Amino acid sequence: MELIDKLSILADAAKYDASCASSGAPKRSSEGKSGLGSTDGMGICHSYTPDGRCVSLLKILLTNFCLYDCQYCVNRRSSDVPRARFTPEEVVTLTLDFYRRNCVSGLFLSSGIIRSADYTMEQLIRVAKLLREEHEFRGYIHLKTIPEADPALIAQAGRYADRLSVNIELPTDASLQTLAPEKQLGSIKQAMQTIYTGEQTVLNEPRAPKFAPAGQSTQMIVGADDTDDSTILHSAQALYGNYRLRRVYYSAFSPIPNSPKSVPLAAPPLMREHRLYQADFLLRSYGFTAGELFKGPGHLALDMDPKLAWALENREVFPLDLNRAEASLIARIPGIGLRTTERLVELRQQRRIRYEDLARMRCVLAKAKPFFITSDYHPQQAEVTSHLLYQQLRDRPQPQQMGLWG
Amino acid sequence: MINLDCDDLFDTWRQQARWLLSHEVDPSLVSWVSEGVEDLFASDDSPPDGNGPFQARIPLALLGILENAARYRGDQRWSLLYEVLWRVSHGDRTAMLAGDQLGSELQRRIKQVQREAHHLHAFVRFVERPQATEGPQYVAWHEPAHDILHSASEHFVARMGRHRWLIATPRDGVYYDGQRLIHERQCPVEWQRLAQNVDDPHGDMWLTYYSHIFNPARLNPKVMQGHLPARFWKNLPEGALIPGLITQARTGKQQDGQASGIAGRAGKRVALKR
Repeated sequence: MELIDKLSILADAAKYDASCASSGAPKRSSEGKSGLGSTDGMGICHSYTPDGRCVSLLKILLTNFCLYDCQYCVNRRSSDVPRARFTPEEVVTLTLDFYRRNCVSGLFLSSGIIRSADYTMEQLIRVAKLLREEHEFRGYIHLKTIPEADPALIAQAGRYADRLSVNIELPTDASLQTLAPEKQLGSIKQAMQTIYTGEQTVLNEPRAPKFAPAGQSTQMIVGADDTDDSTILHSAQALYGNYRLRRVYYSAFSPIPNSPKSVPLAAPPLMREHRLYQADFLLRSYGFTAGELFKGPGHLALDMDPKLAWALENREVFPLDLNRAEASLIARIPGIGLRTTERLVELRQQRRIRYEDLARMRCVLAKAKPFFITSDYHPQQAEVTSHLLYQQLRDRPQPQQMGLWG
Repeated sequence: MINLDCDDLFDTWRQQARWLLSHEVDPSLVSWVSEGVEDLFASDDSPPDGNGPFQARIPLALLGILENAARYRGDQRWSLLYEVLWRVSHGDRTAMLAGDQLGSELQRRIKQVQREAHHLHAFVRFVERPQATEGPQYVAWHEPAHDILHSASEHFVARMGRHRWLIATPRDGVYYDGQRLIHERQCPVEWQRLAQNVDDPHGDMWLTYYSHIFNPARLNPKVMQGHLPARFWKNLPEGALIPGLITQARTGKQQDGQASGIAGRAGKRVALKR
């Protein structure tokens, strides 16, 4: 099979992994050196596809032959898809070619499970090793980790890769048993622990060889079964806490050709995935906990962002005086982000904050208005009930023109 | 009105501004020519001679901020900077902050400039000249909206190692000869010709990757255009594919994520050995 045919099959097979980040790597430079590539911690999106996703890395599978039968996966062994397999050298050639063209900032390599978990992991490591040692490649490498592989292999992968990831796929053991019978939550978490230990070992040891300096991430599939958002975000919170994950990615289940009966035929609304990312951001950067966002089991509201929903549930906190309130509380006002909070604090050291300042800082005033006080503004809506505010502030879908072809 | 021309160079402007400030010349009395265009109400008042008595004190960070904002191409490019300098040197630091009217315009310009530098890092596409024994081995044509080429090109020195490369634009150009980065304010015609007429026999690999990593079941052209403005499409090899992929996704490919070229091929189930 021609290389270009393999590329088309193995890129198509890799698109269901949401992550394409190239950030968090240490500073590396090839200035005046042989070899190729640099990283500086900032990710670069070299292109965007019409699904709005960033193309930052060459994201491919080494092979889409797979012994597992995960129901949501297009590459499961019972799926009737064209199959292909790259040699490690072919992946190296493609990575270097795309890198020199400035089309990508590195490689994100994953694979179907062939022969055994260890064998597959060895193949992935071989690609990374060739790139780093033979070609002195200093760009970004993200390796998918096979949970059942020998911890020694995972440790070896951490020497070459900037980022490692183990996909948790589904947040509960019960879901895994139904949809991914060969996978177990126990071995997935064990692999995360191995990576976490590897990171901790070299922490504060500047002379030690690097270990996955951009940390680890994972992915959860949303909407392949009836797990609710509360369960998903509580387990994300536990992962951030227990294994210091850099990111949890949420991937709305994408229907696959010849879908088995065990998974739904339709995708969940993309808005659900979006709300999960918003809530995840509140966990990571705004100091929220999952318990604050959910009173009990259930989903996030689709017609309202989670910060606004939280504010409506907690009216006793508001309105906040922007000239006095603590920065961490200002950041909890709907429509005011971290950057604006920073700017407000900077400004109020120089003079008192006025209403028009907020308009100039481009925060979302319609959402923020009921929740803050400035020296020249007190919200009329402060006394309005949350229910009424909900009616005023919720998103209403735009009327849609039907497509000509349905 | 005092009329000045700094040839769109920051260092020249800086000398002029320092000297104006020493005479405490009010910002409303000065205008700068930019991109060769004079102010409509400009007249030829002669500027005072020598340095004046006013000793301006400004925070160190301001200089960097002004230099960054100076890369912005647009109206009042230099006058705006002088007004900020004037206010800060007279004790009003809000002129640097986004909460202020002038400060918010200043910060907006800086943001645009940074964004444009990032666009250069992301959207430059090098094409190899395999037979090139001398001159650039990799060439690219790019059309930045602000004067970021020189400062932002350092990025490629770290990235490309000892390769020799060239980026040509309609205005300026840079060439890295393996050791030094050479910047020409007026891009030599020869460089422009090299960058624009280059064969790319192996370009189809990238195009294949781009069309297969796209998930047609998640079509969202608006988000894409927000990140990848249409003005860049014409210089990106994948730009020509975009309208076709969108149309194809709209006409019934939306149910699942597989590319049509893959769906048409014979599949293979994997049997387990017993």
